[in-house]
Amino acid sequence: MPGLQPEEWEALRLSLRVASTATALVAVPGIALGWLLARKRFPGRFLVDALVHLPLVLTPVVVGYLLLLLVGRRGLLGGVLDAIGMPLAFTTGGAVLAAAVMALPLIVRSVRTAIELVDPGLEDAAAVLGAGPWRRFRTVTLPLAMPGVVAGLVLGFARSVGEFGATITLAGSIAGETRTLPLAIFGALQSPMGEDAAVRLTLLSVALSLSALLLSEWFLQRMRVRGERP
Amino acid sequence: MSEVPLLSFECHLRRPGFQLDVSVSGERSLGLFGPSGAGKSTLLQALAGLTGADSLRIELGGEVLVDSGSGLVPPVHRRRVGIVFQEHRLFPHRTVEANLRYGAARMAPSRWSGVVEMLGLGDLLGRRPALCSGGEQARIALGRALLAEPRVLLLDEPFAALDRGLRRQLLPYLQRVVKDARIPLVLVSHDLGDLLAVTESLALLDGGRLVARGPLEELVRSPESLDLLHDCGLVFNVPGSIESRDATGLVHVAHRGPSALRIACGDGAELEPGSTVDVRLRPEDVILALPPAPPALSLTNQLPGTVLHLTRGQGRTLVSIECGVGVPILAEVTARSVERLGLGPGMAVIAMMKAQALRIRPRY
Repeated sequence: MPGLQPEEWEALRLSLRVASTATALVAVPGIALGWLLARKRFPGRFLVDALVHLPLVLTPVVVGYLLLLLVGRRGLLGGVLDAIGMPLAFTTGGAVLAAAVMALPLIVRSVRTAIELVDPGLEDAAAVLGAGPWRRFRTVTLPLAMPGVVAGLVLGFARSVGEFGATITLAGSIAGETRTLPLAIFGALQSPMGEDAAVRLTLLSVALSLSALLLSEWFLQRMRVRGERP
Repeated sequence: MSEVPLLSFECHLRRPGFQLDVSVSGERSLGLFGPSGAGKSTLLQALAGLTGADSLRIELGGEVLVDSGSGLVPPVHRRRVGIVFQEHRLFPHRTVEANLRYGAARMAPSRWSGVVEMLGLGDLLGRRPALCSGGEQARIALGRALLAEPRVLLLDEPFAALDRGLRRQLLPYLQRVVKDARIPLVLVSHDLGDLLAVTESLALLDGGRLVARGPLEELVRSPESLDLLHDCGLVFNVPGSIESRDATGLVHVAHRGPSALRIACGDGAELEPGSTVDVRLRPEDVILALPPAPPALSLTNQLPGTVLHLTRGQGRTLVSIECGVGVPILAEVTARSVERLGLGPGMAVIAMMKAQALRIRPRY
């Protein structure tokens, strides 16, 4: 099997960039939403819950189309995005948005479950010792929920790398801009002589996802060891 | 103890099927006692701000800490009301030292070493809480609460999760804390003996209501309190110090009065002569006789005294007797015995106790 072609390298680089940007973008809102749903009772909670999880139960193509209606050139926010020079439809930004929306529910679910398992009594104990809400979250809730948070981020990253339907609907398959690994694989399979390329890209995808998984395992290990000291 | 500011509080809260109304004033160290479900833990939670109260006021030495009536309700983390929980709630992901330092932002270094030494925590600092024994965890929780420099310390059954032997070892630590901390303290326990060993005054709670408050000698004078105390396990402590241990294995305890109580070996045998102790007694183990003392009797302890007063509860009568041992001796007898012996205030009696019925608790 010959080495990677330049456009295949490009797809890999683009995939990494899109997936890590998307994950970074939703990490903080994802953790915040997970905490909110795990710990707070507020009006509209059900609505937030449903909205966040919608991409999980919808066909990605529908999610992509809904996003297009929202941020497309003629969409609700299209004018605004154009005016500030950040059009999203059929751009790398659009691919990031599609991946982020698809990754968010996975992160929220994982974080929420992890935080629900943290004993609220420990947060109470921290409050009695003088810790305000932010310090309680930072020093008690988050560290104890960390395995779930890391797992959520890895899942979100993997989902971003694998994102296809929403991306192709919202951002198309533009080489170097929105043609990530899955789109490149699909493209290769469509062309008469593309089988070799498809196999190479598939192996690349597997390697990428495995690396993310191993990296998170290593991180969790390190956290456990480091935790033995103050 | 004179520097300890006096604590007063008033708390009202309503929950489905439960209502708590408690008002207490001018306490240094208060023991909350009563059947489970009486609202003891709920009261502590409300004082600390961990559960909402319909109305709450806390006053400390003339300074108002919380007053819901005038909108002064600081959040939990600014209230500086410390709690030691029954489950201890140590942070599992932090070392013992990091646990102890968690609330200790404004602490002086001398304070740190003082608390660590007082509670014997020096060897545990680098460990994880999970690797510490139950007794050690209780001491860590106590130290962590103290190092946060609270203005009031609440203890919610801090030793309930421990077996009896461990509890006995921990009582002196708590007594030292009370002596050294110079803050008022509220202790909840289902063990009346523990409360008496630590606190000056008792508050008797039942169904969210404060039934009575004061020292035990006063509480037993009301029939309602007496019945409640009896149902929850009435005991009393006679303070003293270990004098000697004789060849038959009996430990002799001296006290302020002229006579010595004798304790069966097996309890208190590990304590050095000279140790300060409480002798713990149950009123139903005290037998009354009219003088002169019966000639032949297996009972080891026979204390002559004078009847102070009688309280008639449901199916029992409690007799308080002044025997010159520092506190009145309490004896539970039947109404029939009262009649038969013709018991009344001012009468001379002999209070008798089996050595095996007495329990010894070390005292700081």
